[in-house]
Amino acid sequence: MSMMRFQTVERDSFFTRLDFRPKLVMMAVITIIAFVLESPLAGGLLAAAVIVASLLAGVKVSYIRMVLTVMFPFYILLLLTHGFFNIDQVKSLTGRTELTTLFMFPRSWPLIGGGRMSVEGLLYGLNVIFKTLTLTLVVPLGIFTTDVDKFIVGMVRARVPYKLAFIFSATLRFVPLLFGEIQAIIEAQRLRGLAMEKMGPIQRVRVYAKVAVPLILGAMVKSQMLEVVLQSKAFTGSPDRTYLHESVLGPADYAMMAFFALLFVAAVVAYFWLGIGKFGGPI
Amino acid sequence: MSKEPIAVLNQVSYMYPRSPEPVLRDISLEVYRGEFLGLIGPTGAGKSTLCLTFNGIVPQFFGGRFFGSATVAGLDTLDHAISQMAQHVGAVFEDPETQLIATSVENEIAFALENLRLPREEIMARIKPALAAVRLEGTEKKHPHELSGGQKQRLAIAAALAVRPDLLILDEPTSQLDPVGAQEVFATVRELNKELGMTIVMASHAAEEMAEYADRLALLSHGSLEALGTPDELYAQVERLHAHALRPPQVASAFYLINQAGIATPTTPVRLEAGIAALDALQAQHPAEPPAALPVPAPHDGAPLLSVRNLKHTYDDGTQALTGVSLDIREGEYVLIVGQNGAGKSTLVKHFLKLLTPTEGTVTVGGADTSTLTMSELARRIGYVAQNPDNQIFNASVEEEVAFALRNLGYPAPEVQARTRESLEAMGLWEQRAIHPLALPKGDRARVVIAAILAMKPEIIIFDEPTTGQDYRGARYILDISRDLHRAGKTVIVITHHLYLMPEYAERVVVMGKGTILLDAAIRPAYHQLDLLRSTFLTPPQAVLLAQELSRRDGREFPLLTPAEVAACFTAGGKGGAA
Repeated sequence: MSMMRFQTVERDSFFTRLDFRPKLVMMAVITIIAFVLESPLAGGLLAAAVIVASLLAGVKVSYIRMVLTVMFPFYILLLLTHGFFNIDQVKSLTGRTELTTLFMFPRSWPLIGGGRMSVEGLLYGLNVIFKTLTLTLVVPLGIFTTDVDKFIVGMVRARVPYKLAFIFSATLRFVPLLFGEIQAIIEAQRLRGLAMEKMGPIQRVRVYAKVAVPLILGAMVKSQMLEVVLQSKAFTGSPDRTYLHESVLGPADYAMMAFFALLFVAAVVAYFWLGIGKFGGPI
Repeated sequence: MSKEPIAVLNQVSYMYPRSPEPVLRDISLEVYRGEFLGLIGPTGAGKSTLCLTFNGIVPQFFGGRFFGSATVAGLDTLDHAISQMAQHVGAVFEDPETQLIATSVENEIAFALENLRLPREEIMARIKPALAAVRLEGTEKKHPHELSGGQKQRLAIAAALAVRPDLLILDEPTSQLDPVGAQEVFATVRELNKELGMTIVMASHAAEEMAEYADRLALLSHGSLEALGTPDELYAQVERLHAHALRPPQVASAFYLINQAGIATPTTPVRLEAGIAALDALQAQHPAEPPAALPVPAPHDGAPLLSVRNLKHTYDDGTQALTGVSLDIREGEYVLIVGQNGAGKSTLVKHFLKLLTPTEGTVTVGGADTSTLTMSELARRIGYVAQNPDNQIFNASVEEEVAFALRNLGYPAPEVQARTRESLEAMGLWEQRAIHPLALPKGDRARVVIAAILAMKPEIIIFDEPTTGQDYRGARYILDISRDLHRAGKTVIVITHHLYLMPEYAERVVVMGKGTILLDAAIRPAYHQLDLLRSTFLTPPQAVLLAQELSRRDGREFPLLTPAEVAACFTAGGKGGAA
C-alpha cells in the first residue's frame, strides 16, 4: 500500500541527506517564484529544473508520468480557456491593444463561430501549466525524499507541538491497518450477498455508512489499547523528551538555504529590474 | 532463580469504574527475581488486569477502586507515576498490530527510551543489543508492516527489553500468531529468562509450552488466585483445571485418564519428555495394546461439491501465493486446512468465494465454474465465517443482522422472516433478536455471524481461524457448532493452526505450504506424518507424539490422536477407541 512508506524515494541522494528545513525553504522559494513568473519560457525552465531535480533525487518516472496523465485534461482546458478567453489580462500584460490571432472559427459555425485563439493567450496558458506543474512536483521533491523520522523531528524543531507530530506519525502507522479493516468489512458484506457492482451511488453510500459502525467501534477498542500501550512505554505527551533522530543542520543544509535565499533575491531583482520572467520580457 | 521478590502484591482487589464486581479479588503474590511465572486462567479470569497492575496502569490509568498494595522493585505502584514504573516493568501485549506504534523498527525501540529522556547516544547503544536479544538484527530501518507476526511480537519484546526493566510482563503474546511465530516468541522469552536472567510474568493459554518453560504457575479464576505452584503440581490437577475450563497439557490428560482407569502411576507427568520417560515404567506393568478398532469417518462418495484444478494465483506485487493446487471436496466432508501464514490457505479459500480470481486454473462449485457465477450466487452456496466476528457485524439488531443477507439476495419478506427465525432459533438467539449484536459477549457475536450465514442455507461453511485468540472454552464452543452443522449434513472447511483441537471434529486434513498442497489425507494418517508437519512448523499434538513413541518401542502401529485413545491402549487392552 502506498501509505506504508512515507519516504517513497529509496535512492540515497543529496536530497535524502538534507534536513527537512532547507527543503521547506526550497519549497517556499520555488512556490513563490512559480507564482510570480509570467513568462512561459522562464516558467518552463523552472518546471524543467524541478523535474530534473526530482528525477535526480529518485522520484520515480512513473510518478511524474502519473501527474502528467492526471493533469493532462486540465492542461488542455487551461490552454483553451487562456487561448480563447483570457484577453484582457494578456492585453494588459503585453501592453498591446490587439492580440496575434492564431486561428479563428468561421463565423457561420454555431456557438463557437467567431471565437479566436490568440498566440499570447496560448503562451500565457502554457505559463500557467508550467506553474501548476512546478507546484505539483516541488512538494513531492521535498516530502518524498524525507524520511518520516527526520520529518517529525524537523516539525518539532520548527516548533510544531510534539503531540501533533506524534499524531501525524501514529496516523502514518495506523492508516494502512484501517484500510485493511475497511476491506475486511466490505468483503464480509459482499459475502452476505451484497452486490455492490449493481448498486447506484446512493445505495453505495448507505453501504459505506454501515461499514462505519464496526469500523468506529473497532477503532475505539484499538485506541484504548493504544493508550495502554503508550502508557506502558512511558509516553506522557510531554515535549520534554529526547530523540533518536537528530535534526542538525550541516554545511550542505546551510548551503542549500543560502542558495535558495539568493535565488529568491536574484529572481526578485531579475523580475522587477530586468524584466526577466515577465510576460513578453527578455526570457 | 533466587527467592528475592522483585514484585509483591499484597491483598490486591480491584474494580474497574463501571464493573459491577471486583475483577481482582484479594490477590497476594510474590514474583521472584529471575523466575518465569505463568498466569493461567480462562478468559475473564483477570489475567490481563493483573498484568497491568504491575506497571500501575491499573488503577492509575483506568481509575476504579483499588485495595491492597503492589510494589515492583521497591516502588509502590500507587505512589509512582506510570512513566516511572515503565522504567522497571516492560510490557508486551496480545495484538501485534496495535502495540507497535512507530514507523520503523529502530524508532519502536527508541520510543520508550526517548520518553524516558535518555541521551541519544545511549538510545543508539541500546538498539543493537535489544534487537540481537530477539534475533532481529539488521531490521532497524524496516517498517513494522514488513515484519511477520512473530517478528512483530519479538520487536515488541525488544522494545520492552531496551528499557532494561526488572520485570517483563507478557499478556497472551502468542495467541494471535501462527505456530512459527509462537515458537519464535516462546524461544525468545525462554532465552531471556534462562540466559539473561530476566524475570518473566506471562499469561498464556498454551498449556504445553507453559508446562515446558514456566518455573511456577498462578491459576486465576473469577479474579481470585486459585492456586500457585510448579507446572508439575498444577497441571497434574486435571480435574481442577477442567473445573476452571482450562486445558491441561495432553500428556497430563493421558496419564490422568490412565490413573482414572485404575492403573496407578507414581506421578502425572506434564511435559512430553517426562511422559515418554513415564511410559517405560507403565509399559513394564501394563503393556500397551494397539487399538483393535478406531473410529473411521464415513466415506464420502459422489461428485465433488467443490473442485479446484491446477489453481495458480499471483498477486499484483508478483507474490506467487498458489503454484498449482488441485483439490476435490465432496458433500458432507469435514476438511481441515492447515499451514503457516503465507502457505496459501486464505488465498485458496478466497478463490472458492470469488474474492480472488485465478491467475490460472479453475474452481468449480457444484459443477459450475465460479467464473460464470456472481459473488452473490456463490454466497448462497458457501458461507464464510471470518476470524473476527466484529468485522462481520454491521446491523443494529441481531434480527436485522441475520436478515441482511436474505434481503440482499432478494427473498420475499415472508421468507426473510421465516428463515431469520429458523436460523436464530437454531443458534439459540431468538430471545436476543432485538439486542444490538455488539452488545453480546464475543462467543455470542460469533454465533450471530454463523446464524446470519446459516440463513442463506449454504451447502458449504468455511470457518477461517475460528480458534485464534480464543481460550479453550471459546474454541470448543465454535468447533462444537461446526460439528453440529456437519452432522446436519453441511460440508465444513476449517482453517486453524491448533491441531490438538481438531481430532474430535475433522475427518480429513489438507496441509499447505509455499502455495501448494503438501499432504491431503485422512486425519489419522495425516497427524502421524511428523516429518512433514514439522517441515512446515506445525506442532503435532502430544498424544500423537506419545503414540509414535509407543509404535517405536513396540514395533506395531499406534495410530492414536487423543489422550483418551492413548489411555485406552493401556486400560482397555487396546480394545477401546473412544475419542
